[in-house]
Amino acid sequence: MLKMNHLSKVYRTHLIETHALRDFSIHVREGEFVAVTGPSGSGKTTFLNIAGLLEEFSGGEFWIDGVDVRGMNDDQRSRLRNEKIGFIFQGFNLIPDLNLFDNVDVPLRYRGFNAAERKRRIEETLSRVGLASRMKHYPAELSGGQQQRVAIARALAGSPRLLLADEPTGNLDSLMARGVMELLEEINRQGTTIIMVTHDPELAARAQRNVHVIDGQVTDFESEPQLRVPAQGSGAAVTA
Amino acid sequence: MEIRPILSALMRSKVALVLIGLQIALTLAIVCNALFIISQRLQLMGRESGINEVDTFTIGSLGFGTGFNVKTSIEEDLAMLRGLPGVAAATSTNTVPLSNGGWSTGISLKPQQRTSSASSAIYFVDEHGLDTFGSKLAEGRFFTADEITFRERGDNTWPSIVVITRALANRLFPGESALGKQIYLDNEGAPQTIIGIVERTQVPWLGFASDEGPDAEYQSTFVPQRISFSNFGRYLVRTEPGRRDEVMKAAEAKMAQINTSRIVREPRTVEAIRAETYQEHRAMTIILIGVIVALLAVTALGIVGMASFWVTQRTKQIGTRRALGATRGSILRYFLTENMLITSLGLVLGTVLTYGLNYWLMANYEAQRLPLVYLACGVVVLLLLGQAAVFGPATRASRVPPAVATRSV
Repeated sequence: MLKMNHLSKVYRTHLIETHALRDFSIHVREGEFVAVTGPSGSGKTTFLNIAGLLEEFSGGEFWIDGVDVRGMNDDQRSRLRNEKIGFIFQGFNLIPDLNLFDNVDVPLRYRGFNAAERKRRIEETLSRVGLASRMKHYPAELSGGQQQRVAIARALAGSPRLLLADEPTGNLDSLMARGVMELLEEINRQGTTIIMVTHDPELAARAQRNVHVIDGQVTDFESEPQLRVPAQGSGAAVTA
Repeated sequence: MEIRPILSALMRSKVALVLIGLQIALTLAIVCNALFIISQRLQLMGRESGINEVDTFTIGSLGFGTGFNVKTSIEEDLAMLRGLPGVAAATSTNTVPLSNGGWSTGISLKPQQRTSSASSAIYFVDEHGLDTFGSKLAEGRFFTADEITFRERGDNTWPSIVVITRALANRLFPGESALGKQIYLDNEGAPQTIIGIVERTQVPWLGFASDEGPDAEYQSTFVPQRISFSNFGRYLVRTEPGRRDEVMKAAEAKMAQINTSRIVREPRTVEAIRAETYQEHRAMTIILIGVIVALLAVTALGIVGMASFWVTQRTKQIGTRRALGATRGSILRYFLTENMLITSLGLVLGTVLTYGLNYWLMANYEAQRLPLVYLACGVVVLLLLGQAAVFGPATRASRVPPAVATRSV
């Protein structure tokens, strides 16, 4: 589903070069639920941005669902992102001036679905996250957990092959976080590949596989599936 | 197109929507009406007087000496003027078109008629009048030298023949030839026979007899007389092309030389007379153009300011849209569509205001009904202005990178 080989990302200013990712390789198979952990500044967000085609990379190779993304222009990347990737953000990123129906509708409009198809998908995904009765409500009228459920519905509405979640429970209390996590697990069980960036070792432990990032480099334990070591804080190596 | 969600999002920013919508509405109302007024003024100023304005000038004299004889003076002056090198024609006259002073009368078709049939300006000219004015004879003939008389002090009678303009002929005898017909310059006196029809000669006053229609400003009558009831003599001189200024100086010097018992009035070109007459209209036109430019600039800046603020305010939202699959073009179109909707709402209100203002101008300042084409032009101009004004901020929005969506600040 997602494969990066010796990927690098360098931020350059006229004074300094920062290597956010170096020799970064990862292979996420279809249907996997992968948690990406690491300390602040380790390169998790850079990885997520590149994985979600939100940023370009400096070197290496990168395929999404078998599509080589090297050399794609901005429009091609936007279309691929819209078609294959769903995003869940830490801050939900709902559009406050749109009701839930219109929020979920945003990526579907960019996809070019007709009105009937969009309506069907919106109603279906909002039902799936338990908010079908609140379609005409605005984000401000919902709790944090409910807002994140809307964001999940928005991410799922386009039937993406890959779901990227950036600290999806970071702004939620533990009860709401559990609910969101259960929803993600259910989505994964139904076949959607999920890559989740998190600081929370408990959440990471619930993923099928953990990838730890330190100093822009990855430790991918896929090759040692039997090894299982409990998490030892945010900077420690964890397992899959 | 994302019209419905854009509109519903806009409805949640009602204050900004109302303010910018009102600004657009007021701009439309003022711009349309101002454009209409300007076009009317330009049309007014652009009308042809029917005389040769380029090569003509007026010159006059006021006798003060005890031995001053106005009749002799007029004849001497005309002989001198016609003999001057560069002079094509010269006539005595009481006034010229657009000079804002002269003689007018009500013309009747029957004796003792209680209400006149038409208003007309009176030009007292001699046999060279038509040639000097440069007006075109459409029918009949002009006066001959032996038909010219002096109009003495206390003389209330009128000559038996006149030449009138086509506008006056059409007003007096619609649908038939006026040639040979009789009219009454004085409804208690003898009739005058129309011996010629001149194509077009404007009256001295703007807005003359406006109740008789727009052509009333061309209702003129030529009378074969020289005025001798005061010490004032006035002449219109037409020169050969390109020699007006040179002849004007020579004429002034020569008139001062041949008769010292009078004051020679400074000669004035008919072009200068026209410019002075239309001075207010020209000033009004310039002021209105300034108002239009200023209003459009303020409106454009308002749109730029609002759009820039919204782009800054929605940076995260734009990044999120980009992350969800919006191309740069989609973001650009979003802001252009949003502006189009705001402008359109303003224009709907502006249409009502435009005709409201027009109605008020009609009721208070004798303005005419605003033709629809001005509203259409105003709408197009403001739509284009809105799109042009928002293009910069919209382009900036389209450059917001999608990675903004994952930034925590």
